[in-house]
Amino acid sequence: MPARIGVYICHCGINIAATVDVEEVVRFAQTLPNVVVARHYTYMCSDPGQALIKQDIEEYKLNRVVVASCSPRMHEPTFRSVVAEKGVNPYQFEMANIREQNSWVHSDVQAATQKAKELVAAAVAKVALLEPLEEREVEITPAALVIGGGIAGLTAALDIAEAGYKVYLVEKEPTVGGRMAQLSRTFPAMEDARHLLAERIKQASSHPNIEILTSSTLREIEGYIGNFKATILRRPRYVRADRCTACGKCAEACVLAGQIPDEFNAGLSRRSAIYLPFAEAYPPVYTVDPQNCLYLKEGKCGEGDTPPCVAACPEGAIDFSQKEEELERKFGVIIVATGFDLFDARLKPELGYGRYPNVITALEFERLASPDGPTGGEIIVNGKKPQSVVFIHCVGSRDKTVGNPYCSRICCMFTAKQALLVKEKLPEAKVTVFYMDVRSFTKGGEEFYDRARGEGVLYRRGSVSEIYRKGDKLIVRADDTLLGRPVEVEADLVVLATGLVPRKETEDVALLLKLARSADGFLAEAHPKLRPVDTASDGIFLAGTCQGPKDIADSVAQARAAASSALMYLIQGKAKVEAVTSKVDPEICSGCGLCEAACAFGALKLDPKRKVMTVNAVLCKGCGACAVACPSKAIQLSHFTPAQTMVMVEALV
Amino acid sequence: MLHAWLNVERNPTQTMRDFLRSFLEKGIVEAILVPAPSAGGASITPTLFLNPEELSRAEPFAPLMPVSEATMVSMLTRTGNPIKLGAVMRNCQIRALVELVKFKQAQLDNLIIIGIDCPGTYELKDYSAMVQNGVDPTASLLENLARGEVSPAPGYSFREACTMCIYPIPDPAIVAVTVGLMGFDGERLPILVKEELAEKLGLADGSPSNRREEVINGLLKARKEEREKQIGRFTKEGTGLEGLLRWFSKCIRCYNCMGICPICYCRECVFRTPVFEHESARYFDWAQKKGVLQMPPEHLLFHLTRINHMVTSCVGCGLCSSACPSEIDVALVFQSVGEEVQALFGYVPGRSLEEPAPVQTFQEREFLELGETLR
Repeated sequence: MPARIGVYICHCGINIAATVDVEEVVRFAQTLPNVVVARHYTYMCSDPGQALIKQDIEEYKLNRVVVASCSPRMHEPTFRSVVAEKGVNPYQFEMANIREQNSWVHSDVQAATQKAKELVAAAVAKVALLEPLEEREVEITPAALVIGGGIAGLTAALDIAEAGYKVYLVEKEPTVGGRMAQLSRTFPAMEDARHLLAERIKQASSHPNIEILTSSTLREIEGYIGNFKATILRRPRYVRADRCTACGKCAEACVLAGQIPDEFNAGLSRRSAIYLPFAEAYPPVYTVDPQNCLYLKEGKCGEGDTPPCVAACPEGAIDFSQKEEELERKFGVIIVATGFDLFDARLKPELGYGRYPNVITALEFERLASPDGPTGGEIIVNGKKPQSVVFIHCVGSRDKTVGNPYCSRICCMFTAKQALLVKEKLPEAKVTVFYMDVRSFTKGGEEFYDRARGEGVLYRRGSVSEIYRKGDKLIVRADDTLLGRPVEVEADLVVLATGLVPRKETEDVALLLKLARSADGFLAEAHPKLRPVDTASDGIFLAGTCQGPKDIADSVAQARAAASSALMYLIQGKAKVEAVTSKVDPEICSGCGLCEAACAFGALKLDPKRKVMTVNAVLCKGCGACAVACPSKAIQLSHFTPAQTMVMVEALV
Repeated sequence: MLHAWLNVERNPTQTMRDFLRSFLEKGIVEAILVPAPSAGGASITPTLFLNPEELSRAEPFAPLMPVSEATMVSMLTRTGNPIKLGAVMRNCQIRALVELVKFKQAQLDNLIIIGIDCPGTYELKDYSAMVQNGVDPTASLLENLARGEVSPAPGYSFREACTMCIYPIPDPAIVAVTVGLMGFDGERLPILVKEELAEKLGLADGSPSNRREEVINGLLKARKEEREKQIGRFTKEGTGLEGLLRWFSKCIRCYNCMGICPICYCRECVFRTPVFEHESARYFDWAQKKGVLQMPPEHLLFHLTRINHMVTSCVGCGLCSSACPSEIDVALVFQSVGEEVQALFGYVPGRSLEEPAPVQTFQEREFLELGETLR
């Protein structure tokens, strides 16, 4: 059937029409080969605009359509469904971008009109060669994998489980709870963070649809949306969960008791080599730290043959014969909730962290302020209650010198909270906050900041240049940027509002799941505005701080959004997969595997018998990297074949 | 790795034939690939031997390389290597084979490589002329070696690629045996052999050959100088669009360079696929746009594409130049460009199986100095 093409030029209000002579472009389009009708309209994406196309398809028996308007990112799906409604294959539609790539970036009407004509000519040339393609569907395994057992992971897991689907929650640490377990109170409501989290942990751990796998990491993941398979590595706890009553006698008996820095208390206290991270930890089972345990490292501990912990356990729960296990789980969707790391304050040596014991990070302060912390919630430093406390904002955030130009978003608010906690616990103490700007955009945030100032917290705008010791005091030297002169403030305690950075394992996670990272190093969402919890890989969603700095409220909101997005697939039980995929010509393919190395989605594999590459069309996202990598062009990308691309080039040059 | 010596009773070729025969007789390999006269006798070509008796016609040291043995090993192992195979190879062939393994075009399982020191090879026409003029190319070469000289017969020269080759010695980490021709003293031939193989062959550990070391050092010095000189010639005459057009001016796009290249592993070159089958009208369009159209078109695009695809893996065997009917020095272009590009990636083709080829790896952050900005 010969091509019968309709061409539609959009004004986009005045966005295009003010810079491009749309009538001239229409007159030009009418002269192009195979064009049956060409029109222009104020907004092609509006209902009347769409109606125009539908009417023409009927009246002129169009079998291909070109719309020259905006970027296809937003409206290509719109127009594809418009033409499909009238029986035209949605892949025999082509969009020319004459807005972002033309009218928005040019001002010369004549030149912009000429460029619009060329872009339309290229689209018309291509559309004539486009082949009809069919979208396909895959079945969805009714289960989800959640990676990370912090507040985001727990929340997402609960929502999916509540909807009636199985959830496998994988946590690297020996307990779920994540960073939130270490926090004292939340802002702005000043609720007990531990209490809020304990409730969540209890719900998740008792939910029949949730299987929690702690001390576990993902070794391998294969498959595609609807049909993932993971190999999970579960490290031994060396304690039998069915016997341990968490009585703690083993920890008391451990010969290393009180010697190992306790990561839960940010190193402010010391634990044994067998320990429970914190009171509400789940599972409530002690765990042996293999990095430190003498019995595991040296094969012997204590005087006799039996290690003291084993001797002390009344239940006989300690079992050093436990081995690493490999588990396999199948699921249809994945939620990544791997969290963040704290900026290492040692990278700002002028602030004295690591040198002066009374310079601490915000997380260390959280532990000091927590009732279950090393001081029972009292602010005590060097055995004394500080009389002057200085908080410093933006340590490792908004700081190009350490490569972190971004704002960590939560530090302004947690500093206000911590300043208020000092005021609450030590009403006489003088509290000073050095800030760059106060960003209090969270709901109730500005009021909270006002409250801190109202209660006597002194906010000074300025950047800290140095902290040094004078006697038993610290002197914080800063430029007060409002007064325009240097100031020095005496302090007994300095708290650094350390920013959030991507977890050190982010690269591994990104490689394992074939996820992209944004410039700040966090995992990248598919679109910052319209697809904030999706990734470029179908069926994989992001929740919480693995995607960027967030407070608890935002992490929970994103986790629930990710759960809803995942549920859309789980509930439907099937998913549409990209129709634009690459194809291997087995006659030409040499099986060299360059395409496999180029594919970010793991869609290409060597057929070991035939020695040619094969494409898993469900994994393929149609990006075309393989087609470029193939030296003999044995791979072609449907919808972007060399012929279809060459005619566009010819039309443009 | 152990040093041993083969006694040369009649001549090194005969000694080598006997040595190779022992591989078959002792069941170390079931088949062996060795150069031997081609059918009709006008050339020397890799030949697959299964019967030990046939090895009496093998010419393992003949200084001629019309095709690369790497290509033949690829043919024999690409889809699996069912029997234990031995192959007598020069180092450029071994290095090409290592590259082919990386591109999954050959397998080393079940393969025993018997590497030989390579003094150099002749162009086929020179080799034939020598034979016609009553000069035995192999014997004259071995006579020179026995005097400690790595040189062609008087009045002849090695292929240009050989004169500038700085990798004439097989890497003991890759081969099972090295036959140290460079250490041939007229009576004995030093060899380097893997211990487990030495045991099977009944070879005892001896002293290393100092003479070989000296000869190699002297040779490498001369080769490096020659290499610098040749690359300098290309840099002066062949760079830039003008220079390249001049260099390839005689190209008839016969594709011989691609067909003979051991690295060009594509089953079908992109230039022979529909990507380059244009509609008739397009040629007239181009002619109109450019004023005239040289036919066949795109000859420089062909060479640039080939450089782009495989220059990082070019081992400098020089077969492209030897195969060119127009006598274009294709190899010098690849060696000159290759040297620079390979250095950028810190890559030496054929050096190690552990090193992936630059075209096989993707690094998000590299060559930032070229001005590419990340997202």
